[in-house]
Amino acid sequence: MDKVFVIGRDAVPERVHLQAGEKLRWTLLYDDSLCDSSAVAVRTEIELCGPGADADIAGLYLCRGDSVIDFDITVRHSSGGCTSRQLFKGMAGGNSKAGFDGLIYVAPDAQKTKAFQENHTILLSDTAHIRTQPQLEIYADDVECSHGATTGYLNPDEQFYMRSRGIPEDEARRLQILSFISPILQRLPEETAREIEDSL
Amino acid sequence: MEMLEIKNLHAGIEGKEILKGVDLSVGKGTVHAIMGPNGAGKSTLSGVLTGRPDYKVTGGSAFYNGKDLLSMSPEERSWAGLFLSFQYPIEIPGVSITNFMKSAVNARRKALGLPELKPAEFLRLLREKMAFVQMKSEFAKRDVNVGFSGGEKKRNEIFQMAMLEPSLAILDETDSGLDVDALKIVADGVNALRNSERSFIIITHYQKLLEYIRPDVVHVLKEGRIVMTGGPELADKIWKEGFESING
Repeated sequence: MDKVFVIGRDAVPERVHLQAGEKLRWTLLYDDSLCDSSAVAVRTEIELCGPGADADIAGLYLCRGDSVIDFDITVRHSSGGCTSRQLFKGMAGGNSKAGFDGLIYVAPDAQKTKAFQENHTILLSDTAHIRTQPQLEIYADDVECSHGATTGYLNPDEQFYMRSRGIPEDEARRLQILSFISPILQRLPEETAREIEDSL
Repeated sequence: MEMLEIKNLHAGIEGKEILKGVDLSVGKGTVHAIMGPNGAGKSTLSGVLTGRPDYKVTGGSAFYNGKDLLSMSPEERSWAGLFLSFQYPIEIPGVSITNFMKSAVNARRKALGLPELKPAEFLRLLREKMAFVQMKSEFAKRDVNVGFSGGEKKRNEIFQMAMLEPSLAILDETDSGLDVDALKIVADGVNALRNSERSFIIITHYQKLLEYIRPDVVHVLKEGRIVMTGGPELADKIWKEGFESING
């Protein structure tokens, strides 16, 4: 199940159950310049029900106008011996608001679980808001789990370095944003990735 | 008209005045060394001349080929031919040297009204300049300065200088953290780029680099002002007697 969802166009299933050995690879893309509705919530729960199930979920959210986006992602490890990874990257400019709630739940007998979650965001304006709430609920004791969240601004030292080489300020910002989002851009179809690159 | 004409320059950072009236003229095709103890304002001077946003100019002027340097953006200064070799080159994860230089070279060409280089032309130029500073070709694909040793970072600065062919290059403590071999490669690169049109300001704490790159003029910067100006022998005097012997 390798799938790209363009939020606002494609509906993301609210619930998915992965049986033993099943693999899911999702990439969620929210780009407010592609989306008509200005307030969107994406809620999904992926349950790993049998050993060897694997969920690999990535998300990219590009908010530049007045948009509001909220992700609510739950990865439920009900069976032992399953793996999951979440990587969400977002940037918020203009007056946009971007939220991420991510829960990793590991049931009491879901031993040998490996579950990782990362959410990294960049603020591009003083009037944008970013909220991130990673959560781990772990009831098994033989697991490997981690989560990480960062938020910040584009690095001004990098910007000055590039500008001192003659790269204009807006191009320097574009290169910085591209390098930030490239791990997820690589998962998108080439044409979609190029459209995003051109829109930055 | 001198290439660079600085008059009574006052500047600082976070409300603290560091440069307290710097006067300096640099003529076309000359190499100037600025020496000074820690805290004299050497890096502030290079930052102000290249337009680092965190430094604030509070008085005086700096003209470059007759243009008001201080009113120009960092990129405009670069297009006009100014180059700074950073004391601490910045790492840019996710941006390769090739893409970085392609953006820089083509932005400059655009500003000068020239067409962009064709990909093949650009790659030829890149290879030629990398060979010039003895940089291994695999560096072209690596992210800018990420995981580079101190010597590799400084070599990358000289490589960028060779790519951009500035008319005035400021080398800010290029010798710091370099062993003698790396120092020689950097100095050879600089010497090969010396010509009658190009000027250099070499900012340094030590006189070592000046043994390899002989300056025409040596200035001593102390407590935010140029307190003494002389020939290359001034660097040797400082080496023997220390900055305490210089009293402005």
